[in-house]
Amino acid sequence: MSERITRAQIPMEEMGITPGSACQGCGAALAARLAFKALGPNVIRHGVPCCPDTVTKTPQIGTVFEGGGALLTGTSRGLKAIGREDVLAVGFFGDGGTYDIGFQGLSAAAERNENILVITKDNEAYMNTGNQRSGATPKYATTSTNPVGPKSRGKEQPKKNIPFIFAAHYVPYVATASVAFPEDLIAKVNYAKTITGFRIIIIQSPCPVGWRFEPEKTIEIARAGVQAGIWPLFEIQNGHDFKLNYKPKELKPVTEYLKPQARFRHMTEAEIAEVQEDTTSKWQSLIQSDEMGKVLI
Amino acid sequence: MIEIRLHGRGGQGAVTASRILATAAYEEGQYSQAIPMYGTERRGAPLTAFVRIDNQRVRERMLVHEPDISIVLDPLIAKQQGVVESLKAGGIVLLNTAMAPEEVKLGGDFKVATVDATTIALEVLGRPITNTAILGAFVKVTGALKLESIEKAIKKYFPGRLGDMNIAAVRRSYEEVKGPIQAVVKSGVQEKMDLNVGGYGVLKDVSSWRVFTPEVDVDKCISCKACWIFCPETAIQWDEAKKKPYIEYNKCKGCGVCANECPVKAIEMVRVEV
Ligand SMILES: Cc1ncc(C[n+]2csc(CCOP(=O)(O)OP(=O)(O)O)c2C)c(N)n1
Ligand code: SF4
Ligand code: SF4
Repeated sequence: MSERITRAQIPMEEMGITPGSACQGCGAALAARLAFKALGPNVIRHGVPCCPDTVTKTPQIGTVFEGGGALLTGTSRGLKAIGREDVLAVGFFGDGGTYDIGFQGLSAAAERNENILVITKDNEAYMNTGNQRSGATPKYATTSTNPVGPKSRGKEQPKKNIPFIFAAHYVPYVATASVAFPEDLIAKVNYAKTITGFRIIIIQSPCPVGWRFEPEKTIEIARAGVQAGIWPLFEIQNGHDFKLNYKPKELKPVTEYLKPQARFRHMTEAEIAEVQEDTTSKWQSLIQSDEMGKVLI
Repeated sequence: MIEIRLHGRGGQGAVTASRILATAAYEEGQYSQAIPMYGTERRGAPLTAFVRIDNQRVRERMLVHEPDISIVLDPLIAKQQGVVESLKAGGIVLLNTAMAPEEVKLGGDFKVATVDATTIALEVLGRPITNTAILGAFVKVTGALKLESIEKAIKKYFPGRLGDMNIAAVRRSYEEVKGPIQAVVKSGVQEKMDLNVGGYGVLKDVSSWRVFTPEVDVDKCISCKACWIFCPETAIQWDEAKKKPYIEYNKCKGCGVCANECPVKAIEMVRVEV
């Protein structure tokens, strides 16, 4: 499991080359900046189609949406063949590239326990092409393919539980992180670097345009998501060992997360109560897992 | 046929403005098209959109290359000669700027009208989204569409209170627009700003993306490094010797994250003077 670090221990050196072409206040641009800062120079970055987050000084290779898992596998095995296992094959993908279109290739790589690190910047929709719903979009969010209207309440289905889905491949390391908790995020990347096998870190990265809030609120909203238990920060090793990294005495109400985002503006009291109930009950089971130090998958 | 080109930045709503114009024309029984310039438009990045309006079916499907009217939603872009490029002789350019038409430095054979749409938007909507605010001015100076049809179209895109606020912005810009007058200068100063920045990669300077600029009060600063760690663009550098942040303004997009995260409010977002 990761070891806590302080702000003073965050490396000063930047791996990002900026300014990039991301939107003002882009959470994913910050996710890339922080993750690659922690990774340092010894990585080969792999990409699939997604928003332009932050360009990095690392060598980079891209492929089709479906090909992320396969390309990472090829690089990792190639590095092994030439005796350069000091270099890490890293995938930096969107939620579409992880939860949906890229999933089967990643699932296969996870099941084979390939020696790769996948980092997902989860902005909860296909943002590069204009906010189409993805498996990562939460229930009730309005998107361009699930617009709220007389007969629609936004997305009907809940957000896919992708960390647990990857944990159910019994891979060495699965973690969630948030751009509002940079020390936790960097500690997790640091830890992931020290182990081998399939590792995945999913970073919740608010998108001001798609989630519809003013760009200065990116961190505020990400923080509220964690504090309300909507996006809990945890680690799972080998599909078994479990640790919750952020445990407030009391969760904030989900409204603190939902209300500032216009994608949820249409929600009724009853719908908010439903999200609250769902969040609280999931949180209770995470707390229980944390007390046992294990999760039953 | 009237052909219109809109210049703006991602987030100011140029594409929505083009749709409102086309919808308003349709409301009047005309044929119309709204065409966004395809690219990966980012909030803050310059972009263009186009509109065609005619009393018979519009068969053209290409971008508008020689507009009759150029509408500019952003005050910084409004200074670029590119906004009047290929404008038809005798055409009109409508600029969002606090300047009077006489002070505008764009040159050529066309008419100039101005309205301070950013101030109207900030005062009426509370946000610098200038797309609806400029449309009232458009109606007044071009006479191409009726105010009622613009208002009807706005109601379609923004139902409820938001629609009412946007209509208030439209009416104010209808009142406050100045001009059109014949352009004062013969040939304008050529500036090199790319008015249609799409795509991926590293940019050189994003200063022009800002409506507000962060300013650090180092005396208030308690050296917590929050602004430094949360800036998505690495625009905030950390001075280890002084233990204070400083801003590389060419990298700053003016998102306001740093000011919002500073626990002692040592960073203030100040409106850019244009
Ligand atoms: C197979 C395939 N379908 C669709 C696209 C078009 N496309 C490019 S980027 C993108 C959205 C990516 O969304 P996501 O992975 O969530 O990343 P984000 O843009 O949100 O960063 C889409 C749909 C594509 N490139 N390939
Ligand atoms: S306004 Fe945004 S881009 Fe500019 S320094 Fe602050 S956080 Fe960075
Ligand atoms: S966030 Fe505010 S107090 Fe902290 S280092 Fe930046 S300016 Fe100083």
